Amino acid sequence: MSLASTFYNTLVKRNSVFVPAIFTGAFAFSIGFDLGITKLWDTWNKGKQWKDIRARYVEEQ
Amino acid sequence: MATVHLSKKAVTIPTTVRTLSSGVPVAPLVNLAARGSAGSGHGHGHGASGPRSDVPPRWAGGVSRTSSGLLSKTFAYPPVTGIHQKSLLHTSAVVRDAPQVPDFSKYEAKDPATNRGLAYLMIGSLGLLSASAAKSTVTEFLATMAASADVLAMAKVELDLASIPEGKNAIIKWRGKPVFIRHRTPDEIEEARNTDWKSLRDPESDEARTKKPEWLVMLGVCTHLGCVPIGEAGDYGGWFCPCHGSHYDISGRIRKGPAPLNLEVPQYDINEAEGKMTIG
Repeated sequence: MSLASTFYNTLVKRNSVFVPAIFTGAFAFSIGFDLGITKLWDTWNKGKQWKDIRARYVEEQ
Repeated sequence: MATVHLSKKAVTIPTTVRTLSSGVPVAPLVNLAARGSAGSGHGHGHGASGPRSDVPPRWAGGVSRTSSGLLSKTFAYPPVTGIHQKSLLHTSAVVRDAPQVPDFSKYEAKDPATNRGLAYLMIGSLGLLSASAAKSTVTEFLATMAASADVLAMAKVELDLASIPEGKNAIIKWRGKPVFIRHRTPDEIEEARNTDWKSLRDPESDEARTKKPEWLVMLGVCTHLGCVPIGEAGDYGGWFCPCHGSHYDISGRIRKGPAPLNLEVPQYDINEAEGKMTIG
């Protein structure tokens, strides 16, 4: 059985599976998207953020 | 054709029942204004009741009844419409279902299952993105109603626990209200914990009201009418409201008097490592 048929038969065939799969996927996607964008932001602004330069100004007791 | 058979059998006679010797058909009882039967057309799903819609207008002619029979007049001569069959030279043309339609077979999907899977994948992906976007829209909108970080920072009070000796009360102002903080002695803790709290007016255990037994933190507002109770007073060694005589015990629970509820416990955190308490 091809990949497309497997996908159709496991996920799409029943709406009771398809809709929860979409919502679960949306949940996972939003977390992953958030993590990815934060990572990209931190990489892009490396050395400019407080958490990067904190060690230069704050001395741990 | 035009012979009437007199018999008792019910027959449907044609509207033209007789022909004159001149060849004109005679139909004396034809009602030219007859309407169709009320209801749904004439019984097989099309045609509305009422007069026929395809009757030519009066100016184009029409049928009238005269004394000598039906008279049909036509004043307009519409062009003849209909199917013109082309005579091709072929003796036998190739029979095709729809000869004008090009052959699309090479554009069709090779495998219907793949096509279907791809279509549903796109549907699902769009639904996933839409659900994610809708969730973000709602949460971000709700977040605009939340207090900002500077407001939250202003709404907190931090104090040094070492400044309150054991057995002493401290009253601080927090969000415009007094907050009682009592550093309780072991005797007071024992008294608060051993009380039969299930029979009180507002049953609440001392464990539920304190995070650490030696520190009791409460809003200093009487739950009756909002006076500020006096500390270390009253019949139960706790607080006493001078306005209407409510007595609170050493855990801030109402024991006597008109107040309906225990003194409210605000949200607070105790940082033991630094000896600090944050209220709010």
